[in-house]
Amino acid sequence: MDEYVLRTNGLSKKYQHTMALDKVSLRIKKGSIYGFIGQNGAGKSTLIRVITGLASPSQGSYELFGKVHEGEIIEARKRIGTIIEGPALYPQMTAVENLEAHRLLKGIPGKECIEKTLKMVGLQNTGKKKAKNFSLGMKQRLGLAIALLGDPEFLILDEPINGLDPMGVVEIRELLKKLNREYEITILISSHILSELHLLATHYGIIHKGKLIEQLSAKELQGKCQQYLHIKVDHPEKAATIIESQLSTREYEVMPDGIIKLFVSVDSPGKVSRILTDEGLVIEQFMPMGEDLETYFTNRIGGEKHGQAIESGMV
Amino acid sequence: MGRLLKAEWYKLTKDRSFRFLTWMLLIAAVLAPLVEFDNGAPGLPAVKDYYVESILGPHANILKLIPSILAGFFITSEYSMGTMKSMVSSGNNRISIYSAKLFVFSLGAILLSLILPIIMTGTSAVYFGFESMPEWSYYFQTIGLILLYAAAFASIMAVFSILFTDSGKTIGFLLMFFVFVDWPLQLLAVKVPSFEPVLSHSVFKLIYDISIVNEVSSTDKLFLYGIPVLTFVLLWGIGVSIFMRKEIK
Repeated sequence: MDEYVLRTNGLSKKYQHTMALDKVSLRIKKGSIYGFIGQNGAGKSTLIRVITGLASPSQGSYELFGKVHEGEIIEARKRIGTIIEGPALYPQMTAVENLEAHRLLKGIPGKECIEKTLKMVGLQNTGKKKAKNFSLGMKQRLGLAIALLGDPEFLILDEPINGLDPMGVVEIRELLKKLNREYEITILISSHILSELHLLATHYGIIHKGKLIEQLSAKELQGKCQQYLHIKVDHPEKAATIIESQLSTREYEVMPDGIIKLFVSVDSPGKVSRILTDEGLVIEQFMPMGEDLETYFTNRIGGEKHGQAIESGMV
Repeated sequence: MGRLLKAEWYKLTKDRSFRFLTWMLLIAAVLAPLVEFDNGAPGLPAVKDYYVESILGPHANILKLIPSILAGFFITSEYSMGTMKSMVSSGNNRISIYSAKLFVFSLGAILLSLILPIIMTGTSAVYFGFESMPEWSYYFQTIGLILLYAAAFASIMAVFSILFTDSGKTIGFLLMFFVFVDWPLQLLAVKVPSFEPVLSHSVFKLIYDISIVNEVSSTDKLFLYGIPVLTFVLLWGIGVSIFMRKEIK
């Protein structure tokens, strides 16, 4: 059994004077949903392009399903489904015809898979409507259907929820979760909608200026995201004094709108609320909160801008 | 390779430009001979003369120009639509992908190139009478040569089509190239005498000898048949070599 579906070893890609990928070594475990995060031009698409054979690496190597030799990797690509920089559609063809063209290309026997896949993405009733007349969301769904054709073991999806309406986003998220859960399909998904990735991914890779600056699991991310108590009271200044004196800490922030972020005693909110109410303060809002993926990502990228040693976080 | 050929054939049959060009040539094949009824000349031409002068005569240009349009839509548009990405990442090697594309495109070019010589000969025979048909051996030789030259020119078009990523640029370039290529080549042959035999034995020159296949020596006939085959093989190799190195955008 291959533990890793994809493993890159010091993968680099240079375009003239630009290092699009700089010694990237990432690992994608079988059965995981790997959220690939980075700004525009960070190198997400370049990495996907190299893995899918659209571009060749300048340096380094990679393993796909444990295969390392070029011929084996090409063969292994039969086990993947892709959406790379937008859905690949024949605009003059209908949804069924598009899938038929890709079915023939992949050598999938029988036409039953076409109806089944269209049903999966909710496009079974598009009839003779040509793909060029589809909405952006429908095009994305058709692109996903093409990627799913032939029951791939590994899905590589570059911005698959672009253009989808909120309901569409939820449906695709649920579909991807179902595919991962029920069919154990490993998914590499890049998206700039981090809140959506947060609801989906089991692992994350953060890439910035061609360098993979961190890889972590969702659990690790949860641990790393700073937790705090969000407190709103009628007299914030008095509350700050009480916190300092009674909890013996200065690890808090008073925001301009009077909200206090308390970074200690997160595990004992009852104790904190009792201290404040005992001193006669009226609590208007009180809840434990934490940084989300977006804040964590921004801090990681911002950290580099300020010269922090983010290299230490490389895996 | 078989599945790639099937996929390419499926796409060719669904290609709107291929369908449009086929219908356009079919209509031309049916209507064009009718001009002879109203051209002021006494009587109607013999089918064998009409075949040589009106069908084979201008056919070199049709063979070079019409498939150029198909090349833009059938090959280059795979880049602009993004479908080339799914082809390359589908687990097929690039040699097979390019070969299948070239073979099916060549087949499309051959079909387009044969419409006028076959259908127009048939319609002109219906209009002018079946008495003076071309000799069958001559007819089949010219049909065979048209087939070979269509494939040879298709292989040239395919190479240029994978260099561009925009259908319009490919079509524009190929049309300009094939319209004007004869003149600089002839000029070069005059200025550089050593180039003259190369030009004389290239598909660019030999295509004009199809109609005189019954008059050339057996050695020249060998060149007439062999050069397009060699051209196809050579251009296939060049195309594969470019496509193997090309980054798919």
